[in-house]
Amino acid sequence: MKRGHRRIETQLAVIGTGIAGFAASIFALKRGLDVAQFGHSGAMAYTTGYLDLLGVHGQRIRQDPWAALDELRRDEPQHPMSKLSNPTIRTAFDGFTDALCDMGIGYTKAGEQNLSGLLPNGVAKPTLSVPKTMLPGIAAREAGARTLVLDFDGLQGFSAKAFEVNFAERWPALKSARLTFPDMENRQVFPEVLARSLENRATQEALAGLIRPLLNGAEYVGVPAILGMHAPDEIRARMEHAIGATLFEIPTIPPAVPGIRLRECFERAFPDMGVKLEPQLKVSNVEFGRSGATLFLHGPMEDLEIEASAVLLATGRFLSGGLKSDQHRLSEPLLDLPILQPDGRQEWFRHEYLDPRGHPINRLGIEVDSAFRPVMPDGDPVNERLFAAGAILAHQDWVRQRSGAGLAIATAYAATEAAAAMLA
Amino acid sequence: MPARTYEADVLIIGGGATGSGVMRDLALRGITCLLIDRKDLNAGASGGNHGLLHSGGRYATADAETAAECRREGDILKWLAPECIDDCGGLFVAVEGDDEEFAGAFPEHCRVAGIPCEPLTAAEAREREPDLPEAIMAAYAVPDATIDPFRIVLENVGHAQRLNDSAYLPHTEIEEFEISDGEIRKAVCRDRRSGERVEIRARQFVNASGAWAEKVARLAGCRDVSLLYSKGTLLISNTRVTNGVVNRLRLPDDGDILVPGGTVSLLGTSSVTVEDPDGIAPTIPEVDRILAEGAAMLPVLNETRFVRAFSGVRPLLKAAGSETDGRKANRGFALFDHEDQGLVNFATVAGGKFTTFRLMAEKMGDLIARRLGSAEPCRTAREPLPSGEALRWTEPGAAARDWFRRADPADMILCECEMVARSAVDTIIADAPGAEDHMSLKAIALRSRIGKGACQGAFCSMRVTSYLYDRGVYDSPDGLRLMRDFVKERYKGVRPVLWGAQMPQAELAEILHCGLAGMDLATDADGGDAK
Amino acid sequence: MSAHPRGDTLDFLKVAKDLLPAGASYDACVGCGICASGCPASGLHGMDPRRFINMAMLGMNKELSTTPWVWACTQCKRCAYLCPMGIDVSQLVGAARGAWATEDKPSGIVRSCAAQRLDESTSAMGIMSEDFVEIVEETLEEIQENQPRFADLKVPIDKKGAKFVINQNSREPAVEPEEMAPLWKILDYVGADWTYSSKGWAAENFCMFTGDLDAWKEMVETRVDAINALECETWINTECGHSFFTLWQGIEKFGLEANFEAESLVTYYAQWIREGRLPVNSDWNTNNLKFTVQDPCQLVRKSIGDKAADDLRFVVKTLVGEENFIDMQPCRSANYCCGGGGGFLQAGMSKERRAYGKRKFDQIIATEADYVLTPCHNCHSQIDDVGEYFGGAYTVTHLWTLICLSLGILGPDERKYLGPDLADINLPDEE
Repeated sequence: MKRGHRRIETQLAVIGTGIAGFAASIFALKRGLDVAQFGHSGAMAYTTGYLDLLGVHGQRIRQDPWAALDELRRDEPQHPMSKLSNPTIRTAFDGFTDALCDMGIGYTKAGEQNLSGLLPNGVAKPTLSVPKTMLPGIAAREAGARTLVLDFDGLQGFSAKAFEVNFAERWPALKSARLTFPDMENRQVFPEVLARSLENRATQEALAGLIRPLLNGAEYVGVPAILGMHAPDEIRARMEHAIGATLFEIPTIPPAVPGIRLRECFERAFPDMGVKLEPQLKVSNVEFGRSGATLFLHGPMEDLEIEASAVLLATGRFLSGGLKSDQHRLSEPLLDLPILQPDGRQEWFRHEYLDPRGHPINRLGIEVDSAFRPVMPDGDPVNERLFAAGAILAHQDWVRQRSGAGLAIATAYAATEAAAAMLA
Repeated sequence: MPARTYEADVLIIGGGATGSGVMRDLALRGITCLLIDRKDLNAGASGGNHGLLHSGGRYATADAETAAECRREGDILKWLAPECIDDCGGLFVAVEGDDEEFAGAFPEHCRVAGIPCEPLTAAEAREREPDLPEAIMAAYAVPDATIDPFRIVLENVGHAQRLNDSAYLPHTEIEEFEISDGEIRKAVCRDRRSGERVEIRARQFVNASGAWAEKVARLAGCRDVSLLYSKGTLLISNTRVTNGVVNRLRLPDDGDILVPGGTVSLLGTSSVTVEDPDGIAPTIPEVDRILAEGAAMLPVLNETRFVRAFSGVRPLLKAAGSETDGRKANRGFALFDHEDQGLVNFATVAGGKFTTFRLMAEKMGDLIARRLGSAEPCRTAREPLPSGEALRWTEPGAAARDWFRRADPADMILCECEMVARSAVDTIIADAPGAEDHMSLKAIALRSRIGKGACQGAFCSMRVTSYLYDRGVYDSPDGLRLMRDFVKERYKGVRPVLWGAQMPQAELAEILHCGLAGMDLATDADGGDAK
Repeated sequence: MSAHPRGDTLDFLKVAKDLLPAGASYDACVGCGICASGCPASGLHGMDPRRFINMAMLGMNKELSTTPWVWACTQCKRCAYLCPMGIDVSQLVGAARGAWATEDKPSGIVRSCAAQRLDESTSAMGIMSEDFVEIVEETLEEIQENQPRFADLKVPIDKKGAKFVINQNSREPAVEPEEMAPLWKILDYVGADWTYSSKGWAAENFCMFTGDLDAWKEMVETRVDAINALECETWINTECGHSFFTLWQGIEKFGLEANFEAESLVTYYAQWIREGRLPVNSDWNTNNLKFTVQDPCQLVRKSIGDKAADDLRFVVKTLVGEENFIDMQPCRSANYCCGGGGGFLQAGMSKERRAYGKRKFDQIIATEADYVLTPCHNCHSQIDDVGEYFGGAYTVTHLWTLICLSLGILGPDERKYLGPDLADINLPDEE
């Protein structure tokens, strides 16, 4: 028995299955490129579901992300998003949220101002686009509307009571209650399990039946993000109808539904859209030749060789394996790309965890040129066919800047455009 | 704000091993104590050590007296508090390049101190500890053991509370003593959480504040206590590396002892003299040095995942004109009756080792009992230490095994790494020392394994906080502030070991704490509203 | 089932060090719980994949060596698929199973493995080689007599040098031999040069599920020897999941010499349809019955990957009509195990097995499909069982049934797994 061997030819090989990778595939398809995407399940399931563009700049929360981007270009010219104009970023952002809506996960269109997305602790975060299932919560809070927030027996890390207590001062009409989810008595429940169960209409009806008697005049009902996995907007609409109040979701601690939703949405839609997707496989090696690159992957039974004319690296940071470190240095394990870094780890992290300046290590990563090609220390591209996007890029701190999705989407767009131009 | 007032036979200042030991010692003699700590139990050196119950082997060469004391006290504790002790045995190992003469003289030093010491061949040593290197010059087995420093202190306090009206007040800091006619009349304290003034009247005042003993003594006008502060740093691994204690057979230096701590191992210990016992934290150079030294003895440490480092300050006695190098200083203890300082109801116990805390408490107990006219003898060398239901959760794996055995599907696990369930947290909230007041995430974590696993509180801080809101323990935005304080504190120990497998963990933690919980945007004033 | 007192206590950290690659071992775990959240066995016996890792790190070797959960985990590898670090708990579960004392292991699995070792047939239902040959011949004669179109149907056995050698799940020869007919007809239809092997023909391997590596190896060796001896180019695994995984994985794991390629029947269905040799279509589905399909873990996630899922969908969509196909979500490599695998069906733990299968049931119900197609015998039985237990109105069917239905060659006796709605559709012309 020989180990299987398969060759796939593609124009663009996207490595990484986070938001940047999926966004790159979407943009490449739109450009008419032949695209293949690879990478082991990454960090997507850790997202809140909110798509941030730029929520914090200069250590201050920003209401207007577009104005903040203008300041970013001035204050942090090396920031990856500083390489792009606002119209370009908006085009990218809209392209991504439109694609999500087309795939069945409703997202709000990016506006001029940030929204105050609700978080489970009873705090809010500045974000630009939110799942449609989460939007009414923002309105309810702003209006101080009569609202009931629910949690469930056995669901860890989400306390409706905590939500109520922490919003109480400015939202006195907020009340909380606890329910036992239908058929989930006496057990630990994960949000994912509840969401899958709500795909079943009988469960939707049973849950709505439990919620109705608790309303007590509430106009809004907030629940942890569990309203189904693949058609949340439909499920929400159906349950709202059954309950007689506006329903909204609140993010939960990972493993959380909104991120799993996104990943499964891409995994479901991409094969039909023509992306050659191997979400299970990690790229073990890449070799560049004169006319393209060869990627090597290893499935359980077969080895894959991908012949690509261009490669887009969107492998993220430590959590998804895009970066690694030993006791002294950071490295990029797939291509050993250069990383400008201090000598030793003294300067990686600040002494105070929540130092508003963020940790310097978060700004270390891959240096790219204006075409989003990784560069050598002298500034020359590592390879004219290699592009990079997303959190692996240097000079950004997406967690602290509240810019994770924006960074991923905008740089994926720019890198894909550059790759398309090179291939043209 | 009117002051809260308390009265007791004895006020003990310092909730470490010695203070809690004095509390139990006196309670066993029928004397009522009030124990206070400006933070919480084991906040000083008692919580900042490797949990080694010394056979005495480590001191055999340099300090036969301390070594013999360790051996005697170790035997007593193994007998009376077996539930707090892992009698895992220990090795002293010399590797290539170590001083042969020092190694050769070791058995004789042990013999003098009365420490059983069995020579092993390299093969025998590796059979016990397979990760030892090939090149072993000499190896000896000694009866080292490990002790859970948190459990034994909790048990001391818990037992004292059950014996009489003795009580424990955390977060109570001594500010001044009111003294007249050669006696302390009352101690004036501050509740560090509420800001309240707390006045405590007692007949006797015991200063068992460890590294802070000199400062506290000075508050009472006593200038006879003089301490040297020696900072020691240790690393904690994700899993247990060796079966027993492994000591490097050489003069004590950085990174020459690896002590199992139940399900983890602790590697240490550095020794740096510091000016002030407050505000210490492990540093990256210390960690790197300890690890480099440790790996010479156990190369597997180079591939070991460390989850945390921590530091403690050893309070060492400074005799007039003596050594200023902490490692060479006397590890013995001293009892100060302060009578030559003009006080008849104040005493300080300082110096010593965790292993000898019981003996220190006995000496103090004898003094205080005599002063109070009690003829009751010390019973801590005979009376087994009973175990309390709410006090056994600091033992690694205890909560996990308990939960697994009870198999109650409704009992949710709050901390997954260490598998601490709601039921364990419930007993702590109800019955652990300090529960009379107000339990916080941090206090519960001190009394359990919460926050001590690989995630270092990334998930469990949020899950426990949610649960405390659900239970009504928290009823204001203050719960979020306490959670933020907790993760900020944990981070200080995490930072120096951030590399390798801890990097993804740290990235995930920041995604949770900042991205999901908005901790970096919250200010203390508004409890965390981002607007 | 109670915890066993007699087996060995393993040191699971050491097991993990030995079995799992560096960087994907317990030490890489960030405790995120994606594995546990996505595992249908989570909560059974208080366990889940994350807890398995944490308990190993807490030194709870006794508990891990005795928890019956290792028989509720089907080793489907969904945890490893989802884990950002790629930690594969299923291998530790396999080691734990192996350490149980034989007399304490679920007797159904142990008995099935023992039966497989009785005879070179390797049949878990105890069908000896000569009985198998006899059953095949009798069944064939019946078809030749009663179905004029197949009067010359051939079922070669031990035909040396045939292009394909195909295995056969024991269930059909043992209890429903007429169910072998659809496959024979398909092979006849495409003119395949194929054969059964009288030795090692059985498409099941409960020895792998017992955790007994020697027994697993013995099974694979018997089969590999038999296939090698027939000098066939390709071994085709029938509509079954684990019998595929067990063979190729066994060959790799035990370093066996195999002079053939291992392929799935699904791959060939797709190839024959593409080549026009199997001219199926959905014309028969005039009522627009809705179909969904189960991706067997052993075939897709654990073996061929999404390529098998693509082939499966191509076959099914061609058969039922694109518009009548509804995917379960999640699916393909991310699909949930139904709970029929890993020996769960035979382990005598029906309460746990159905609790596990509830997620699959919800997935199916959400599709609102009338039929579930399962190219795997264990999936078939489990999905059928949970459907009945939880009150689902769907019917579970093999692909070969639908293929023959579409081709108009499915006899009236071969419709056991079709609902009344399809009982009379496209019956072969009476001649």
